[in-house]
Amino acid sequence: MYTLLYGLWKYMFQKDEYYVLILGLDNAGKTTFLERTKSKFSRNYQSLSADKISPTVGLNIGRIDLGSIRLRFWDLGGQKDLLTLWDKYYSEAHAVIFMIDSTDKERLSMSKEAFDEMMVHPALDRVPLLVLANKQDLESAMALDEIKTIFNESLQNLGKRDFKIQPISALKSQGIHESIDWLVYCAKKNSDRPPSTREITS
Amino acid sequence: MGSFFSNLFSSLWGSKEIRILILGLDGAGKTTILYRLQVGEIVTTIPTIGFNVETVTYKNLKFQVWDLGGQTSIRPYWRCYYSNTDAIIYVVDSMDRERIGVSKGELVAMLEEEELSKATLLVFANKQDIDGCMTAAEVSNALGLPALRDRQWQIFKTSAIKGEGLDDAMEWLINALKAKQN
Repeated sequence: MYTLLYGLWKYMFQKDEYYVLILGLDNAGKTTFLERTKSKFSRNYQSLSADKISPTVGLNIGRIDLGSIRLRFWDLGGQKDLLTLWDKYYSEAHAVIFMIDSTDKERLSMSKEAFDEMMVHPALDRVPLLVLANKQDLESAMALDEIKTIFNESLQNLGKRDFKIQPISALKSQGIHESIDWLVYCAKKNSDRPPSTREITS
Repeated sequence: MGSFFSNLFSSLWGSKEIRILILGLDGAGKTTILYRLQVGEIVTTIPTIGFNVETVTYKNLKFQVWDLGGQTSIRPYWRCYYSNTDAIIYVVDSMDRERIGVSKGELVAMLEEEELSKATLLVFANKQDIDGCMTAAEVSNALGLPALRDRQWQIFKTSAIKGEGLDDAMEWLINALKAKQN
């Protein structure tokens, strides 16, 4: 009887928390992605319109609940001198999203440099990594294959981690569900970094 | 329909004053920032012993802005003003490398206060008009901002003397507070 009640209690009030880092160069669409994700998964959340979103020079946070799971997001600024702040969050992240502006051909190599540096960091060993090729709704966007070819060069450093490149349009809320599903699936599966369990009443 | 709700929203917003505290060590530029925000001019200031409070109107929103004195002896009184605060503007003198550690200590202690757990944090890396000052990233690291996990924060490079960076900061604050409402 006790077990049953405890099980019910756990079912209702305990959540496994996973932290997801959102990285990438400035203007890739990280904050827009976070805003759209929040409005897609939380009732009553009215997402900030894109023109109200200014460059992040700091940290935005967000959380969504999916059944017994809670995802907490850290959206960090991507301007050049802020890249030094990223690694402070690595050891606590359960998954990483790396956002690319698919229309920004000029800075793709810079984006990949930041990506490479992030990927080989020991604190992120075996942490699932999702690359989002954003702004696919725009005509000037590079095709997914083109981006894949470039980023595949880095895969020798992948190690034992789940990895995926996915095309999305954060602005049009396309590809968000797939991204979150994949992240949850991989983060749950990764026994190296178990979630923190918290009793949540709100 | 959408406009109906946005009207309702703005009328709700208009009725409540947003409470902001400006904190930071002495000589960081808090009072200069306060009057820049209020009258858009530079006022000659003297070290604040006690506080200044002004109502600032920005984009039809009313802000009640408290500028508290930053000298060592009066910092313990900051906490008397914490309740119901919507946002904290923490001002740092970007030239003052010597005391950035002290500034960090005050910031960390302040953020541990229960009454401020919901307050939005803006950091102003002030005095950016001076050559050789710390960059936004340097100030962030020195203040230990990356250790914050459950609080949204944003740092702005400002020059209160030249009036730079303040508009961006207010713009950001308004949107951040709106997003927090829902």
